[in-house]
Amino acid sequence: MDKSNNMGLAQAKAKSTAKAATVFLLPALLLIAIFIVYPVIDTFAISGYKWNGISAGRVFIGLDNWKALLKDAMFWKSFQHNLIVMVFSILIQIPLGMLLATFLDAGGKKFNIFKVIWFLPYLMSSVAIAFLFNYALATNGGIISSLATLINGKRTTIDLLGTAPNALYTVIGVMAWQFTPFYMVYFIAGYGNIDTTIYEAAVIDGATRGQYIRMIAIPLLGPIFKTACTMSLIGSLKYFDMIWNMTQGGPSGSTELMATYMYKLSFQQFNMGYGSCVAAGMFILITAIALLFNKVFKVKEEY
Amino acid sequence: MTDNNLNGGTMAVDINSLGKSNDTDYRMSKIKSRIAWTIAIIFALMQLVLTLTPFFFMIMNSFRKQFDMLQQGVFHLPDPWYFNNYVEVVTHGFFGYFFRSVLVVAISLVLMLIISSFAAYPLARMRFKLNPFIYATIVAMMSVPMHVTLIPIFKLTTTVGFYDSLKALIGPYVAFALPMSVFILTAFMKTIPREIEESAEIDGCNRYQNFFMMILPLSKSGLSTLAIYNGVSMWNEFAFANTLLISPEHKTLPLALGQFKGEHSLDIPIIMAVLTLSVLPMITLFIVFQDKLVKGMMAGAVKG
Amino acid sequence: MSKKLLATLFATVFTVTTIAGCGGGSSAPATTEPEPAATESTESADTTEATDTTEAAETTETADATEATDTASGKQTDGKNLPTLTTEPMTITLWDIATEDPGKSTQEAAVQRFMADYPNITVNQVHQQNDNYKQQLVVAMSSGQAPNMYIHWGGGPMAEYYKSGFVNDITDMYAKYDHPDFIDAAVAQSTYDGKMLAIPFGGLSGCDVFYNKTIFADLGLEVPTTIDELEEVCAKLKENGITPFALANASKWTGSMYYMYLVARHSGNAEFDAAYTQENGGSFTSEAFIYAAEKIQDWVKKGYFPDGVNSLTADDNQDRALLYDGSAAMMLHGSWQVSGIRADSEEWYNENVGVFRFPEDAEAKAKGVPQDVEIGTAIGNGFSFNCFKEDGSVDQDMLDACYVLATQYYNDDTYNQTQVANGTIPSIKGFEQGIDDPCNKVVVDVFFNASNVQLWYDQYLPASVTEVHKNCMTELFGLEKTPEEIGQEQDEAMQKALAEE
Repeated sequence: MDKSNNMGLAQAKAKSTAKAATVFLLPALLLIAIFIVYPVIDTFAISGYKWNGISAGRVFIGLDNWKALLKDAMFWKSFQHNLIVMVFSILIQIPLGMLLATFLDAGGKKFNIFKVIWFLPYLMSSVAIAFLFNYALATNGGIISSLATLINGKRTTIDLLGTAPNALYTVIGVMAWQFTPFYMVYFIAGYGNIDTTIYEAAVIDGATRGQYIRMIAIPLLGPIFKTACTMSLIGSLKYFDMIWNMTQGGPSGSTELMATYMYKLSFQQFNMGYGSCVAAGMFILITAIALLFNKVFKVKEEY
Repeated sequence: MTDNNLNGGTMAVDINSLGKSNDTDYRMSKIKSRIAWTIAIIFALMQLVLTLTPFFFMIMNSFRKQFDMLQQGVFHLPDPWYFNNYVEVVTHGFFGYFFRSVLVVAISLVLMLIISSFAAYPLARMRFKLNPFIYATIVAMMSVPMHVTLIPIFKLTTTVGFYDSLKALIGPYVAFALPMSVFILTAFMKTIPREIEESAEIDGCNRYQNFFMMILPLSKSGLSTLAIYNGVSMWNEFAFANTLLISPEHKTLPLALGQFKGEHSLDIPIIMAVLTLSVLPMITLFIVFQDKLVKGMMAGAVKG
Repeated sequence: MSKKLLATLFATVFTVTTIAGCGGGSSAPATTEPEPAATESTESADTTEATDTTEAAETTETADATEATDTASGKQTDGKNLPTLTTEPMTITLWDIATEDPGKSTQEAAVQRFMADYPNITVNQVHQQNDNYKQQLVVAMSSGQAPNMYIHWGGGPMAEYYKSGFVNDITDMYAKYDHPDFIDAAVAQSTYDGKMLAIPFGGLSGCDVFYNKTIFADLGLEVPTTIDELEEVCAKLKENGITPFALANASKWTGSMYYMYLVARHSGNAEFDAAYTQENGGSFTSEAFIYAAEKIQDWVKKGYFPDGVNSLTADDNQDRALLYDGSAAMMLHGSWQVSGIRADSEEWYNENVGVFRFPEDAEAKAKGVPQDVEIGTAIGNGFSFNCFKEDGSVDQDMLDACYVLATQYYNDDTYNQTQVANGTIPSIKGFEQGIDDPCNKVVVDVFFNASNVQLWYDQYLPASVTEVHKNCMTELFGLEKTPEEIGQEQDEAMQKALAEE
């Protein structure tokens, strides 16, 4: 905090700041409290019960669910899958999105057609993506296996979705296909957010486009970059949609994620109490990782 | 991939800036730059194929009969072309679903953008005691898996009598988009140079004027990213819509698929037709929007 | 908890289901019309023929028999002995999963007919999507918004809904009032803990081998009647570059059908019943399970299943695709495939599709193991009623209305005829007659001649065991685990589920 000589003025300023902040933040916080915070509290409460999710009676069992969670191999396996998804998502989607954005930024308007087509995957619904990739990756007549057969000269099948380690990486690839376009648009906006006068000044100083991007734009994009990583991190730790449509966690649990595991317990196996415990555990883990990430990569911030 | 382009570009610059025989170097750099661009374009085209192929086959399969699709393979052009899927889709109330989706997404999106930009401003620009705490809370709220909120939100919706009406969706849609949006906008607002605001303050603007006159216009690119991000996810949102809407005359577009999908039967080409029709307006919007986006940014920047 | 399934009762009620004698020629109604004419003469014989009935099943069956005799008029809508419905205005919320035609219009029509006859009663018919249906029910039930009448598939979930207080016990009503003469297997599958909890309306589904007649004819293959013959057919197909079985095992329950049938043929399901209770040495590692698993793995190694069988999914019709493009010749599947394939291409269906019963185990047969245990579901979909007042007492007025709707409008002549026309066979006696479609004829014959119909394991086992069983199917077909290992895994899960009860 700034040390001001004039305490009275500073206090008055702090007060008006607090007031303004309250006014600005209130609607958002209210909505979040009703629709998100309350359900989270509810989830934590339910995690203390043995409950099938529907009956009027539920049995309070204290921390039993939590104790079980700590020893639950399936949960930790799912968490591990989530971590793998997270690492690869950040390593693939963000750099690739950045590159595409840089290319488009450098190319200007004449590359608009690239921008539109590259963006298409993000617009498609997970249902369509899951269906098309299930067929594209199919061992029988799928694109990949057909290509392999062509190259190999004899019938070759590459089983990408049906065997344990492959399936997870395949799904990661499909996720990258789906989400990279978003990061592309995101970084285009990031580039756009940089004051054009900075670019003009750089040009006057004799910098080329490449230099400008490397020396000026990318460092300026610091916070934006970190935000993208945080988004990808959280998004991949609570991912559900396409995995559910493509593999439902299979084969034999090799693409099970925390969210799919939680869903199965809560809504399909009449185990809402434990499912809520998994959800709460998931919430704690994701929040911890996200906050830790933000702490470690603290970009210098000015208020 | 396009990394080559980037390196090539900078390398060319480095050589250029050594400033020896300007002419040859210039030509050299030009050649190098050309090579770099060629490589970049090749990769760009590859990416084009990669993104376009599934999309293309989604559309192609919507013009086939399921039997033909399964017999000839999914990655095969329609033979014969079959247009009846679209007739089916349109006669099954597609436009009703469509307009309800437009309505819900438009209202939710506008509300969400206003509320999240309000919230991001103090977090990015003001110093107050609770700032880090609120910011951390918002990050934490991003990590909530949506399925845990289904039951509480369902209860709330039935209690206030919004169940089975479009109103029911707006609250959850806005609220669920908020944490991520506030988070992103805060980051975007932080990249706006502090001096801009300071100079405005000297001109006698108070915080509120500052926000509307300076910060908001300058956040346009962030806002448009959010509009795209949340617009797409709201447009495709299934779980809340499926839980909170039950009568066909209130359902939104993602639920239209259900009409062609039974316990043991699934007409894939018709589903592809629905998905194709649902994605077309998004593409149109994006084409229009991304152009406006650039213009809006430029305007903001020039003003700044 | 789903594990609370009362194992013994549940097991017996479901598996002991006896259909002996009620199908086939002996019970054929005098008329050849596909009317569900109940058969007075054979009805009593039916109950006595039930060889091995638990108390639970017996009560309902006796009730069923007497009742059916009373209502032998045949036309369900002419039911004379029905509760008098209220004349007060009433609204019933009904959930089904009929999102698409033909089921949608068939079921809407039933509700319309009901509302026309009882203008004071409004039925709010909601079509939920099948994919998320279980979730929808959980959400509604936990929020006090459960529908008054809703569809389910019997098995574990029905028991769970009942135990949680969302199902009216209709045993007495069923004994007292008119109702269609449901086949015994359907009554048994609607029963839990000796109580009648549901009215079937979705029709039965058997599990049989669909095969490509053209390929069989071209290669001079005969329909196999024993597993040995089946293996010969497979070998011959393989020689000719055709994958014997079109299986899409990413869906897991699809592969489970092979496993279930091999177990049933080898032990007549006695071993499964034992493994289900884990008592008296019962185990998923017992001989029949090892036999089934070894057979499957042998077939996998010989290439009798498609490459990458675990990556193909039945949800996307990838198994049907293998059949259509001629790369595979046989498919063990639920009988709904008849209407599915017909809807895709009537022409191709007529030209190519035949059905045969899963072949017998000659060796086991010689040892006297029954070969007529079949896999399938006898109720398809059932309606349960959730008619309670705020104080928890039964809302009899509403329950009466729901009962009349489910038994007299669903399941009436119009409804059943439409079902048959759409390729679904109602779970009502007499409907084994008058089936035109040759494939459906086989399906029905197999079903009605079964001594025992085992519900699909994935609907039958407790939910937590189902998950393990399904994963085991992946590992089995993927050759990732040995038959003993998957047996042990299933044992472990079963024991855990039993312990948690």
